[in-house]
Formats: sequence, structure tokens, C-alpha cells
Amino acid sequence: MGESTVKLLPLAIVFGLFSLFIISGLRTRKRQASEYGFAGGYTGRVGIGAAIASNWMSAASFLGLAGMFYLKGYFAMAYVVGWTGGYVLLLVLMASQIRRFGKYTAPDFVGFRYDSQAARTLAAFISVIIAVIYSVAQFRGIALMVSWLFGIAYTPAVFIGASLVVSFVVISGTLGAARNQKLQYFVLIITFILPLMLLTRKLGYFWLLPQFGYGAAINDLQQQFGFAWSQPFTSESLLAWFALCFSLMFGTAGLPHVLSRFYMVPGIRDARWGVVWGLFFIALIYWSAPAYGILARLFEAKNGIAFDAANLASADTVVLSAALNGGLPAWVTGLLVAGGMSAAFSTVAGLMLTGSASFSYDIYPRLIKPKATEVDKVYASKGFFLLLAVAAMLLALQPTRLMIAEIAAMAFALAGNTIFPAFLLGIWWGRANAAGVITGMLAGMAITFAPFVFGDSIPLLSLLFPITSSAFLGAPLVIAIMITVSLLTAPPSVEIRSFLSRNVHDCPED
Amino acid sequence: MSTQKDPSVCFFRPNGKSMRREIRVIALVLAAWLVAIIGSQFAVFLLAHTTQGASLSRWTFFNLPIPFWLTGQFLPLWFIIICAVFNIWMDRHAGRDLDGTLRFRVSADKTRGE
Repeated sequence: MGESTVKLLPLAIVFGLFSLFIISGLRTRKRQASEYGFAGGYTGRVGIGAAIASNWMSAASFLGLAGMFYLKGYFAMAYVVGWTGGYVLLLVLMASQIRRFGKYTAPDFVGFRYDSQAARTLAAFISVIIAVIYSVAQFRGIALMVSWLFGIAYTPAVFIGASLVVSFVVISGTLGAARNQKLQYFVLIITFILPLMLLTRKLGYFWLLPQFGYGAAINDLQQQFGFAWSQPFTSESLLAWFALCFSLMFGTAGLPHVLSRFYMVPGIRDARWGVVWGLFFIALIYWSAPAYGILARLFEAKNGIAFDAANLASADTVVLSAALNGGLPAWVTGLLVAGGMSAAFSTVAGLMLTGSASFSYDIYPRLIKPKATEVDKVYASKGFFLLLAVAAMLLALQPTRLMIAEIAAMAFALAGNTIFPAFLLGIWWGRANAAGVITGMLAGMAITFAPFVFGDSIPLLSLLFPITSSAFLGAPLVIAIMITVSLLTAPPSVEIRSFLSRNVHDCPED
Repeated sequence: MSTQKDPSVCFFRPNGKSMRREIRVIALVLAAWLVAIIGSQFAVFLLAHTTQGASLSRWTFFNLPIPFWLTGQFLPLWFIIICAVFNIWMDRHAGRDLDGTLRFRVSADKTRGE
């Protein structure tokens, strides 16, 4: 992958795809009013599912997951199970209840439910941090793709990638292009599965369903090359697997940009069925992702390329290197890169817009300019968007020992330690109050970041709360703290408890 | 049971027939979710760490080794199945309750909420 030439055909495919997104976004905007009339029907639910899936798919899913399989084999299954199993929690415990609250953002929900501006501001602050961490993972993915496309080093690729993201958001925003998420999901699935089918076909495996066909590669790697790294629990323990898996699940049910999918769906049934379709669409990608990691190792072994576990950038681009080492034509690798970049771009754009909205509506008027007008807030939002992009870009430039999927896992851990307990108790326990949620969210932040700061001097912290899996023990601990503090302080107002009982849970009036 | 003085909702003390039924189903779904995750991983662990298991885990079904099947293919499918079952139950259950209640709020959008 070290060729320092511009890959013209793949570059043209990437630009073509992004132009298609903008053009179709402009068309979608014109049609949207009439489409809403049918939003409650069957097509609407599939559409909501596609929107959930395309909103979800990021560089961590498209590139990072395969990279984790390439490095850690079976252990990476914790990502597959964590990122799909979290939707079960989301569906049964939160989706329809959030819709009934009628609030539009995570800070909005926390502020209303706990009747506290401080809790709302804290939730906004956490949402911004989550957006930044998650964006760093996306920026790394984008920079690796840009680095390959233009044949340049990683550092300038980060700057170019960040400029491209900001330009894309500004151009889409100026033209008023809506996100056509159905088209985006369709593109993602095609660009991910088609190259995989071609690769398995080249190897003579069962190519029609490469999700199963790659199993032959596991056997070949073992029998021909003696590689057993993909076997279960060879590198990490069962407990570490559970910790990562459950941390990701709690995080899935606590990520603000995932939860926000349920605020505005037309109906509660649509919200629920949208989750099932979304989960199916997500699973289609995750059933396939392990194949890239395994096939990349096989192609390397066949081509005599030595495996280097320390080269994380190379591991994060195994989707691409599998296609290159497998000898796929340039247009197919172009499709793969275009798919990866569109996944990262849409996620980063969504995260940064959510983050800047949290800042301009929840933090700026409360902490910085109390008398801010609507115009001030719009400017604050635009300014903060740029600030977020710069912050994520600078962090992406830092050397790290973490893979893309692991950086994303940190964002999940933070969400699982803070927003997830706030929503869970906020919906299912009327007695949870503002003091409880504020203490809980602060404790959740401490649990997430303490291993970074004190991990070296207090090894127990890193053992109990590993940075990628801290919500496994962290979330239950935060829930216990929230319950204890809530019980020791005054209950929430009768209005809030009655609202929760009557309007959210449909309980009879006594 | 909650009383007139305390309208607080609690997952472990559901109030009213509708909420009790819903929580029973939620608990069943969560049990199916948890048992499948923990059970499958213990099975995979045993396959990897026992002599009989080692020979079993060499078996493949439709090309894939059993551990990859169980975790990578079956668990996501299982999650989809239990979510669909939950939704079917909720559709029937919520539909019945709505006939008997006028309390359900219709929000600002033009479509009916449920």
C-alpha cells in the first residue's frame, strides 16, 4: 500500500459517489413532504431501518471490525455481538418510551426527565465528548483512505480528510441537500459485499454467500500455514470478551446519535419495527466483516508477506489490502474506498452536527452567553462545528496504540457509563432524581477516564475498567450510585413521576 | 403496588395489568438475550479448552467452524428473531390496550401515534 501515486480511477469513483449523494439529497428534499404521508406503512419501516443502519455504519464497522479480526481473530466477535446485541436493549427498554417522551435530543430528554438544567448541561457536555472521540476514529479511517488514494503520508492525509469532511458538510448544507439514507445504505452494502464475493470466488470458495464461504479460509490458514490465531480465546480471556461485549452493548443503548433516531419517527410501532429492520441491515454487514480479516491474512500468507501485529494502520486497512493482494480490479477497490469513506463521512457529519447542536442550545446559552438570541445560537453552532472538526483532527494526529474499532469502543464505554444509566433509570424508575443522575454521570466520566490518568500508578483501575470495556463494570456501578444518591435525596416532582407513569408507561390512574 | 401517594414507576413493581404484562415479556426477551450470549460463549470456551471439544470445534457446518457459527452468525440472527417476537407481541398487546383507553396522547404529527 506504499505506492506514492494518485489512484485516479478509485478517486473518480469516490467523487462520483459523493456527487450522487448530494444530487439525490437535493431530490429527496423536494419529495420529502409527500413521502411523509406514507411513513407509517411497510416501506416506511424498512426506510427507518435503512436510516438506522446507515446512521450506524461508520469507519469502525466498515474498516475497523475487519482489522480487529485480522489482528485478534475470534476475540473480535465481541464487537459483532456487542454492536448487534445492544439493539435488543435499545428496543425492549428504550425505543418506544423515548418516542413517548417527545424530546428531540439526549440533553433535552435528561433535562426534562430530571427537571434539571445542570443535568441537561452535563448530558450535553458528555454528548460533545462522545462526538469528539467517535469522530477521531472516523478521521483516522478517512485519513487512511485519503493516504492511499493520493499516495501521501498519514499526517497530510488527516488535514486533507478533515478539509474534505468540512467541505462536504458545508456544500450539502448550503445546497440544502437532505441525507438520502436509503441510497446510502444500499451503496454501503453493495460496496462491502460485492468485493467480498469476488475475492471468495477468486479463491474458489463458496462465493454466493461469502459470509459462510470464508470458513474454508480459516481451515486453509491452519492446515497450510499453521495459523491458529483465529481460534477462540487464544489471545484474550473469556472475561475480557464478555467485558468488551457488554460494554459495547450498554454503549449502543446510550449513544446520543443512535438514541436520536427514535425521537422523530412517525409512530411507536414504526420505531419498534424500524429497529428490527435496522438490526437486520446491520447484521448483513457484520456477518460479512470477519471474512475480510481472515481473507487478508490468507492473501498475505499466500504472497509471502510477513504478519506485523504492531502495524495498526495496516491492520485498519485490511479491507483494502485484501482487495489489493487478492488482485481485484481498480474499480472494485475504488468502490470499497468509496463505501468506507461514505460511511465515515456520514457518521462524522452526523456526530459533529449533533455535538454542535448540543453546544449551541444546551451549553452556550447556559454557561457562556445567557441572553443569546436564536441568531447567536446559529453562529455558535457553526463556529463550534469547526472547533469540533479541528479538535478531532488534532487528536487523530496523535500517535496511538488503539485501532479504529478500539477508539470507537471508548466512545461506547463513555456512553455506557453515563447516558445509558441516565436513560435506563429515567425511563424505568420514577424515583431517580437530578442529584442521582448528576452524581452518576460524573462518576461515569471518572470511571471512563480514570484508567488513562491513573492507570499506570493504580493498575487495579486498568484491570477493573479497561479503556475499551469500562462500561461492563462501570454501568452497573453508576446505576448503583444513581439509586443510592436518589434514595438519599428528595424524590422528583409529582408531575414528572405522573408523566412517566401515565404518558410513558400507560399505567392506570389510581 | 404503587399507591395514590406515590405515582413512581418501577421496573420491579409494575403498576397496572398492561405494564405488568409488558415487563413480563421484556424480562423474557432479556433472559433469551442473556442466556444466548453467555451460554454460547461458555460452549465455545469448552469447545476450545477440552479434548473432546477440540475435536468437535474442528467440525465445520456450511464451511464455518462451530465457534464462528455460534457467535458470528447465530447470535445476530437470534437477536433479530427475539426483537421480531417482541414486536409481534407488543403489536397485539398494545393494540388491545388502545381500544380500551383514550389516554394515549397523539403528538403533533398528522399520523396516528400507534
